[in-house]
Amino acid sequence: MMEVRSLSVAYPNGVKAVEEATLTLSPGKILALVGESGSGKSTLLYACLGLLPRGSKISGKVFFDHLDFLSLPEEEQRQIRWKKASLVLQGTMNAFTPVLTMKRQFVEAMEEHLNLKPADAINRAGELLKEVGLDPKFLFRYPHEISGGQKQRCAIAMALCCNPDYLLADEPTTALDVITQAEIINLLKRIVRQRNMGMLIVTHDLALATSIADKISVMHQSRIVEIASSEEIVNRPKHPHTIDLIRSLSMMEEEH
Amino acid sequence: MTLRRYGTLFLFFLILLSFLAPLFMGPANEAVAPPFSKPLWLDLGSARPLSFNVKEETLSFRWNDKPPTTFSIEGTVSFESPPKEAFLLLITPDRIYKLADFSGGQYFNVDIDSRDVPLKFYLGLDPFVDLPSLVFSERGEYKLTVKSDSEARINLKVAIHVGRWGLFGTDQRGRDVFRLFVAGIKISLLVGISATIIASTLGMGLGLLAGYIGGLIDSSIMRVIDVLLAIPTLPILMVISGVWGRGLWQIVLVLSIFSWMGTARVVRSMTLSLREAPYVENLRALGASTRYILTRHLIPEALPLLLAQMALGVPGAILAEAGLSFLGLSDPLMPSWGRMLHEAHVFGAFTSGAWWLIFPPGFGIVVICLIFMGIGRKLEEQADPRLKESLKR
Amino acid sequence: MIEEIACSEKVTLVFDKKTEAALTNVSFSVKVGESFALVGESGSGKTSLLRLLLGLIEPTKGRVRLFGKSLDEIGHEELRKIRRNCGYISQDPFGGLPPTLTALQAVLEPLVVTHSSLKKDEINKAKTLLSDLGIEESLWNRKLIQGFSGGQRQRIMLARALITDPKLLFADEPTSMQDVSTRWDLVNQLKNYHQRGMSLIFVTHDLLLAKTITQKGIVLYRGLVCEEGPTALLLTDPLHPYTKALSAALPRLGRPIKIKAKRKPLPSSWEGCVYFSLCPYVFDKCKLPPPLKEVKDGRKVACFLY
Repeated sequence: MMEVRSLSVAYPNGVKAVEEATLTLSPGKILALVGESGSGKSTLLYACLGLLPRGSKISGKVFFDHLDFLSLPEEEQRQIRWKKASLVLQGTMNAFTPVLTMKRQFVEAMEEHLNLKPADAINRAGELLKEVGLDPKFLFRYPHEISGGQKQRCAIAMALCCNPDYLLADEPTTALDVITQAEIINLLKRIVRQRNMGMLIVTHDLALATSIADKISVMHQSRIVEIASSEEIVNRPKHPHTIDLIRSLSMMEEEH
Repeated sequence: MTLRRYGTLFLFFLILLSFLAPLFMGPANEAVAPPFSKPLWLDLGSARPLSFNVKEETLSFRWNDKPPTTFSIEGTVSFESPPKEAFLLLITPDRIYKLADFSGGQYFNVDIDSRDVPLKFYLGLDPFVDLPSLVFSERGEYKLTVKSDSEARINLKVAIHVGRWGLFGTDQRGRDVFRLFVAGIKISLLVGISATIIASTLGMGLGLLAGYIGGLIDSSIMRVIDVLLAIPTLPILMVISGVWGRGLWQIVLVLSIFSWMGTARVVRSMTLSLREAPYVENLRALGASTRYILTRHLIPEALPLLLAQMALGVPGAILAEAGLSFLGLSDPLMPSWGRMLHEAHVFGAFTSGAWWLIFPPGFGIVVICLIFMGIGRKLEEQADPRLKESLKR
Repeated sequence: MIEEIACSEKVTLVFDKKTEAALTNVSFSVKVGESFALVGESGSGKTSLLRLLLGLIEPTKGRVRLFGKSLDEIGHEELRKIRRNCGYISQDPFGGLPPTLTALQAVLEPLVVTHSSLKKDEINKAKTLLSDLGIEESLWNRKLIQGFSGGQRQRIMLARALITDPKLLFADEPTSMQDVSTRWDLVNQLKNYHQRGMSLIFVTHDLLLAKTITQKGIVLYRGLVCEEGPTALLLTDPLHPYTKALSAALPRLGRPIKIKAKRKPLPSSWEGCVYFSLCPYVFDKCKLPPPLKEVKDGRKVACFLY
């Protein structure tokens, strides 16, 4: 069980990005954090992992299976981060160093966190790539030789390499085509169910969120304004902001 | 930041100085004091130089110090009617020196210097004697009189030098280093700024041409740049200024011919990238003409960078001018800082410890270069806000 | 009165002889007052097609007509005049706006291009457009280089394209960076102008958006037209297997995404259907290139299923 208890974040310039956010996420479930740009959704995600710019003020607590993560010293946080909860980066953007092959990038990550020998690390990376639906051959390619969707798959494989209990994904399908996006979403869903992981996915696309997540929390102006099951959100939204969002989306679908 | 602001203020001060100070001073090339006089402020307690404008028949003054290094009396003396007997006398506490004999004439030009050998012979002294230490050996009342039996009109200038002069002392020809320094500000800035302006204009024009038109024009301009960059500049500059002469504008021209390439390259690459920029394509899709795109977007975009390049180019030109002058390839009558260093070097200031000949022009060059570097950096930051952001961190 | 405002006739575009053609044999025509969608994923050639139509690049084969004039037959001057009747919103809101101008200046620039002195009501119009699109007054005089978000920039670009009251608007993914709530401002503005007689060519990867804004459209895959027809039908009753996948992959409220696609690369120098490797319906005939043929009610599809 991952728990976020009244988490508030203020940036060094004093801007309050997140106020009093409370969330729970059980293993095997997907929780989507939906909000418009500037609503603080990504900040909340990074705050959960203690990855905020220096000088930011965080209050509140984050528990990963009763482990009070934010109170740990920085060095311990760093060691736990990948194993307990790992971040799925936007693979299409800059998750990978352009000058190294995927193999090097995987091996370095695993040597650092799992103390594996390079040969074992390569084997394991190959298995992970198979799990995300890629040929292990991709290990020998450079990031620019891989398409956007494939890079995103690699980013997911990378996030899985320490067998984390929780996946935190920040807009994992932005800048991907609809078909590729659908593939990635289905892949994430499958992995979460198979490994019984909890996943927190941040997205601006409410329609996407309702089609993947079990529960949705809607953020608006740095506050979580509504948390409910996907079905509830679609059919019986309560907060005016959510109602607005649902209305403008359904207008698109229905109007002729 | 504050250092930079003070730098700019100091530059304004220097410019102001170069315009105002000559109004209160004589010409820079005039010899005012014995050569290699130290700056006045060196031993403040000791003797001060004295100078008088004499209109009366008798001038009396006290001398209470060690003997001076030199003294001189210049001017004219004329009489109502030719006197039978008339002398210029210097009455010291222990004896009377007859410095000049005016008997029988009516108009006289007086030009007496304590270093003159004829004077020493005239006084009946050994030619190697140090006249000032002999004359001013005692402390007390001194008198200079024109003694005659006729009415005399006297217009004399008396100067007693103590081996120290002015703010920065004097050079090997007895010229005031401060005056030379002030005159050098103007020359250095003039050469630096005008050479850079010419070079930048040339560079911008050719860069825009190469970047926007491309093709054969681009490649030929780029080859010229390559050739000019490959030539070692200083020897060529030396040859050219030897052939063309050593005037101010020759130097400016020579310097600008060899410093436009960097600007041209920068402007060209900028134009190339801007030409392909989505917004330029967008403008073309709006039906904008090439002229519109060039004048309204490319040039304004390139201009701040160009200004920065210009400010950064000024130190280069100043240094190059100083270098050429130091090598003696400038007009000897034009008192630039490089020339001052050249003369200081030639006349052995470096070995004789006449540091006051080296420091003012040296510091001047360094300070002006630093100031322009600062201005250039500042302009560069304004041209590219990303640079500012990265500096803040 | 010209019936057709923009038209592409068997256009083929090859950037580099070594690589695949960016566009192959693309034909379509847009009538006056029509709004037309070019749908496809990235790399399908939809942006290249738009640039071809504006004469920013030239086709390798085929020809493009704008306002009834073939672009390869007219000179620079005439092309400029034609372009002044067009609006263009480029794909990249960060590079697409001149960085040194303020938001208001950027909106007014298309007018400055045509006549140098601005009238008072033109400035007022720009202000109205900006505020209608949700750009607050405090931002009008801020320079574009000083931090506008992608969404704000896209709205400024739309205002910039609409200020001249263009007869034809080319919009390349103009809402890709908008939030759900602000997207409607743009969509409404586009529809508004369309209702007042502006023709629209709209590039998007989102069938739902295409349906909301346009009436007709083509679906491009790897530079080929797969299907042509009314956008509402492309979404609800797709014919080509690729259009079907596009439609199924769209995230919709409360519906899980159902799509099965295994991506395999096509064999090199493949001459058959470009969708061969992904298509669930593949049969032997698909090793030949399918022609684009009319099926029913003016709908065309390039697939041997029909």
